[in-house]
Amino acid sequence: MSSAARPVTILVAALGGEGGGVLTNWIVEAAGARGLPVQSTSIPGVAQRTGATTYYLEIWPEPWSALGGRRPVLSLVPGLGDIDVVASSELLEAARVIAGGFAAKDRTTVIASTHRIYAISERMSMGDGRADIGHLLKGIEEQARSHILFDMETAAQGANSVINAVMLGAIAGSGRLPIPVAAFEAAIRAEGKAVEANLRGFAAGLAALAQAGAAPHASHKRARPPRPSLAALERAAQETMPAAALDIIVEGLRRLAAYQDLRYARLYLDRLGAVRDADAAGGAGGKLLRETARHLAVRMSFEDVIRVAQAKTDPARLQRIRDELKLRPDEPLAVVDFFKPGIEELCSILPPRLARPLLAAAQRRGWLGTVYWGLEVKSDTVSGFLRLKLLASLRRWRPRSHRYAEEQRQIEAWLALVAAAAPLSTALALEIADCARLIKGYGDTHARGLANYRKIEECVIRPALAGRYAAPLAVDAVAAARTAALADPDGERLEKTLDEIEKRAGRAVAAA
Amino acid sequence: MERSFKKEIEALKLGDGEVFHGEGILAVTKALLQSGVSYVGGYQGAPVSHLLDVLVEAEDIIGDLGVHLETCTNEAAAAAMLGASINYPLRGAVTWKSIVGTNVASDALSNLASPGVQGGALIVVGEDYGEGASVIQERSHAFAMKSSIWLLDPRPDLPTIVRLVEKGFELSEASHAPVMMELRIRACHVSGEFVAKDNVRPAHSKLEPIAGPPRFDYGRLAHPPATFVQERLKVEERMPAAQAFIRAQRLNEVFAGEIGEIGIIVQGGLYNSVLRTLARLGLADPFGASRVPVYALNVVYPLVPEEVTAFAAGKRALLVVEEGFPDYIEQQINVILRRADINTRVLGKGCLPQVGEYNSEALLSGFAAFLRETRPAGIDVDAGAGAADRLLGARRAAAAALGELPARPPSFCTGCPERPVFSALKLMQREIGPTHISADIGCHAFGTLAPFSMGNSILGYGMSLASAAAVTPNLQRRAISVMGDGGFWHNGIVTGVASNLFNKGDGVLVVMQNGYTSATGLQFMPSSLASRSGTAPGMDIETTLRALGVKWLRKVRTYNVATMLKTLKEAMRAAESGLKVIIADGECQLARQRRVRAEEAQKLARGERVVRARYGVDDEICTGDHSCIRLSGCPSLTIKPNPDPLRTDPVASVVQSCVGCGLCGEVAHAAVLCPSFYRAETIRNPNRWDRALYRLRRRAIAWLGGAARAA
Repeated sequence: MSSAARPVTILVAALGGEGGGVLTNWIVEAAGARGLPVQSTSIPGVAQRTGATTYYLEIWPEPWSALGGRRPVLSLVPGLGDIDVVASSELLEAARVIAGGFAAKDRTTVIASTHRIYAISERMSMGDGRADIGHLLKGIEEQARSHILFDMETAAQGANSVINAVMLGAIAGSGRLPIPVAAFEAAIRAEGKAVEANLRGFAAGLAALAQAGAAPHASHKRARPPRPSLAALERAAQETMPAAALDIIVEGLRRLAAYQDLRYARLYLDRLGAVRDADAAGGAGGKLLRETARHLAVRMSFEDVIRVAQAKTDPARLQRIRDELKLRPDEPLAVVDFFKPGIEELCSILPPRLARPLLAAAQRRGWLGTVYWGLEVKSDTVSGFLRLKLLASLRRWRPRSHRYAEEQRQIEAWLALVAAAAPLSTALALEIADCARLIKGYGDTHARGLANYRKIEECVIRPALAGRYAAPLAVDAVAAARTAALADPDGERLEKTLDEIEKRAGRAVAAA
Repeated sequence: MERSFKKEIEALKLGDGEVFHGEGILAVTKALLQSGVSYVGGYQGAPVSHLLDVLVEAEDIIGDLGVHLETCTNEAAAAAMLGASINYPLRGAVTWKSIVGTNVASDALSNLASPGVQGGALIVVGEDYGEGASVIQERSHAFAMKSSIWLLDPRPDLPTIVRLVEKGFELSEASHAPVMMELRIRACHVSGEFVAKDNVRPAHSKLEPIAGPPRFDYGRLAHPPATFVQERLKVEERMPAAQAFIRAQRLNEVFAGEIGEIGIIVQGGLYNSVLRTLARLGLADPFGASRVPVYALNVVYPLVPEEVTAFAAGKRALLVVEEGFPDYIEQQINVILRRADINTRVLGKGCLPQVGEYNSEALLSGFAAFLRETRPAGIDVDAGAGAADRLLGARRAAAAALGELPARPPSFCTGCPERPVFSALKLMQREIGPTHISADIGCHAFGTLAPFSMGNSILGYGMSLASAAAVTPNLQRRAISVMGDGGFWHNGIVTGVASNLFNKGDGVLVVMQNGYTSATGLQFMPSSLASRSGTAPGMDIETTLRALGVKWLRKVRTYNVATMLKTLKEAMRAAESGLKVIIADGECQLARQRRVRAEEAQKLARGERVVRARYGVDDEICTGDHSCIRLSGCPSLTIKPNPDPLRTDPVASVVQSCVGCGLCGEVAHAAVLCPSFYRAETIRNPNRWDRALYRLRRRAIAWLGGAARAA
C-alpha cells in the first residue's frame, strides 16, 4: 500500500516556441518508463506565438505496482505554495511564477536560467525599460527553499544544443524528482529527435549544476585601446582630473581623437575643467564630473553622416559581424548597409553660409522630413567601401560644417546651464547634465529629442535657475520631466508632467 | 500543419487491451473511432485542433474504416454536417472551439436539435475558458440548455473521457438528441493513458452505402408546424429518456464521505481540482477518498432530479462548484430541491468567485468560506480554513515582493509577413492622422498589442469589414478593416465583402493572404497552395473579389513597406467612393521556414551552395531610442546592454533567430530610422568564384582601410 502523501509537482515556465512541450514530454516519458504515475498539462493556445506560458506536471513517487490498483487523482492546475520544482527557461518568467504564489519557502526548488529575453515593453522603451535583474533574482531567492540559477542559454550555445535539453539536465541533477539521471537520458533517446544534440545539452545542464550560482553578468563594455599620439593628453587628464571620473574621461579622449582629432580631444578636456571645479566646490565627490564627462563625450561625437561612414568602414566592424555570425575565416560575407539621407543630412556637412539658406528654402517648400534618398550600399564591395571611405574622409572638413557649429553652440549652452546650477545644488546640476541623454539619434529621433530638451530647458531648467523653485523641487522636476520625455514618442506624458510641475511651482510660490 | 502526428497516428491503430498514451483530445479521436463513427468534421481552433489534425494525417486509417472526414470552412458547415444523423443511423462527430465556434454553428444546431437524430450525434467543443483562453469568456452551457442538447463535462481523466464519448453516442441515440462534450483547455492537453478497444467499422459508410433516402417524413424537418411538435418532444420525451439513460448507466458519480452534513456538487471537469483542494485542507487523500461526499456531474445538462435529491437528502448544506457565469447548475439545483421540498442550503457563487477560472486560489478561498459558513461537525474548520488563509497570504506577499512585472503577451512570429503591414499602417497614421482600424480574429489580431496597439473593435471571425459598415459613413476618414485569408473564407466574403458591395459601401479592406489558418496551427483553407489531398484547392482571393465586383484592388507583397505605405495612402485618399481592397501577400513564415530549412539542410548535406541573409545592428551607430522596435516588435529584434562605456541605454540587437525577412531594412528606409541596420549575407559551400571574389575584395578593402588609418 502507498506510503507517499503527495505527488511531486513541477511547474515549467517558458516562452511559446522554446520547446517547453518537448521538455514536458521527456519528463513524462522518463517517469512513465519507471512505472510512475505521471500527468502533464499545458495551455498553449496563442501563447505558443512567443508569449509567456506554463506547463504543469505531477509525478506520483511510487510505481503503479506499489499502488494495489489505486489511481492517484492528479491535478491539472498548479497549487498555491504547492510546487516542488519551478523550472524556467528565462529569468522574468521564473519571477512571474514566484509572483503568482506557486513557490513555498519550505518546499520549492527554483531551477531557472539567468539570461533575459526582453519583453516588448522593455524593448520598445525610448530609454532603458529593462526590469531590474537584481530585484528579480532577490525575489526568486527569497521566496524559494533552494535555487539553481545559471545562464542556460549560454550553456546551450556552448554545447551546440537547445535550452530545454539544458533545463532537463539541471532538473535531473537537482535530485528533486524521483527519477534517476539515466532515465532522463533514456527518455531523450526514446523521443528519437536530435538525440545527440539533446544529450549534449543535457550533459551541459548537469555539469552546470556544479558551478551554478547567480554569477554576476560579465561586463559587456568595449573600451577603446590607447593610442600613442594621445599619451600626453591622457597624462594631462591623470594629473588634473580626480580618479572618480578618470576612466570615463580617458575613454572620452580616445573617442574624440578618433572621431575628429587631438585638438578636439583637447577641447573636451578643457571644457571639463569648469565642471571639475564646480564638482569640487559643491562636494559632489566626482559624480557630477563623471556624468557630465560621459554625456559631453557622447554629445561632442554627435551623429552626422561622417561618423556613420567612419563606423561602417572601421576595420574592426567586419570582424565583429563575422564573429557574431560565427563564420570561418575563409567564408565569404557580403554586407549591405541602409542609408536614407535627407536635406538635413546633406546640409549638415555644408558650411553654415550655404546650409542655412538651403534649409530655409527646404522648409518653405516642405522638403524637410519628406525628401530623402534611399541608398543600399554594398559595403563589402570595393566601390561601396570607397564611397563610404570618401564620406568618412570628410572628417577633416567637419569643423567647418553647419552641423558642427550648431552642435558646439548647443553643447556650450548646456554646459553653461550645468555650471550655473552647480552653485545652487550639485544634485540639480547632475539632473541637468543627465538631460543630455534626450538628445540622440538621427532624423526624427534627433529632432524629437532636441525639441523635448528645449521644452524642459525653457519650462523647468531656466525657471529653476532663476530661483522660481526651491532646489529640491527643481531636482525632482527636472528628473520627472526627463523621465516623461522618454515615456512616449508623442510627448503626451511630457506635456502632462510639465503642466503638473507648473502647477506645483505655482502652489510653492503661493505658499511662500 | 504546424506539427506532425506520426506517433499519434500509431496510437489511433491500437486494438483491444493495448494501452493508449497521449493527450486528452487525441483520446477523444481514438474514442470516436472505437464508437463506429461514419463521419467526422469540424473547424480548427485551440484547444481542439489536434482532434482533426491527426485525422487529416491518418487518411489510411479512416479510409480503411470508411470514415468520411471534412475540414469545414466554418463551424456552421461543421454543425450542418450532423444533418446526416437526422434521417440515417449514422454516427457522426464534429468539433470546434467554443464559445465562438458554437456561436457560428448555432443556426444549424437549433435546426438539428429540433427534429432530433437517429444516429448518435456528438459535438466536441473546446471550452476556451480561463488561463490561456483567447476568446470572449462565455459558457457553452447556455447553448445546450436553449437547444435541448445534452452537455457532457467528463472528469479529466482519460478512461472517463473515453467512456463518456462512447456513452455519449448511446445517450444521443437513446434520447434522439444531439450531445455536446465540453473539454477545458487543460483537459484537452492532459497526458494520460487508457486501455484501448478495437476501432469499429461503421455499419454504413462510403464502404457500405445506404441504398436510398427514407420515405418523405415532414416531421423530420425543422419547419412549421412540425417544430411545434418537436418542441414538445424535446421536453416530454427526449429529456426524460436522457435522464433515464444517465441514471441507468451511472454517468454521474457519487464519491461517498463520512461527513454527512455537507456535500459538494461539481462539474466533472473540475473534479480533480476540487479533490486536490480538499486534500490540501486535510479533508481528502490523494487517491480520491474524501471525508466530504462529492457528486461529480459528468453530465451537466440535463440534471437528474432524483440523483440530486438523493445526494442532498439529510445534508445541511451543499457547495456547488460551477465555473463561469451565469450559475445555471446552481439555479437548477435550487429549483430541484425547492420542488422536492428539501431545505438543504445551496452555496456556490458567493463563497466562490462569480466569474473566472476556478484555479487553486479561487478554490482555496471558496472552500475556506464554505467551511466557515457551514461549520460542519467532525471537521476542524479553523485548521482547514486557516491553512487556506496562510497560502493566500503567502501568495499576496510573493506578489508584493516582486512588484509589477513586464507582461509578455504573444506576438507575431519572427519574420511574420503580417508585421510589415502594421508597420506600414503605423507610418501611414503618422502622415495622414489616426484612422479607425476594424480588427479581426487571427494572427493579425496581435496588431492590437504592443508595439502597434492598433484596433478599435473586434466583432468576430471575418467580421471586420461588416463591423465597419456604419463607421466609415460617420467618420471623416475611411475606416480600415483588417482580415485574414482564414477569416475571409470563414465568412468575411459574405458578411463583409458582399454586404459592402451590395450596399455600395466605402472603406478599405486589407486581406492578409498568408496561405493558411496560421493561428490555429497552420491548417489549409480554400486559397492555400496545397491541401490535405496534395493539390491546390484552386480558390483564389483576388479572382473571387473581382468576380464579386471589387473594382479597386491591389496586391502588395507585405515585406515591401514603402509600397504598402504608398498603397494604403492611395486607398485612403482616393476620391471615388467604393470598397478598396489591398491583398497583403506573404506566406506564413512558420510554414515557409519549415519548408526552407528542410530544403537548405538537404542542399548543405549535398554540398550545394546556400546563401543565407540575416540582419544586424551596428551598436556603435544605434542610438538606443528603439524606434525600430516600436515599428516592428519582431522577437529577433531585441536589445542588449550598451557596449559603449560612455552610454547606458541599451542598444538594439538582432539575435540568431533572425530569418532575414527584410523588414528591418524596409522599416529603416520607410521610416527614415538610423543607419545602423545592415544585412549580412553568408554563403555556405561557396563556389570557386565566390571565394576568389571575396578574397579579392577583402584584400582591396584591407588596403584601402589600412591606407586610411595611416593618414
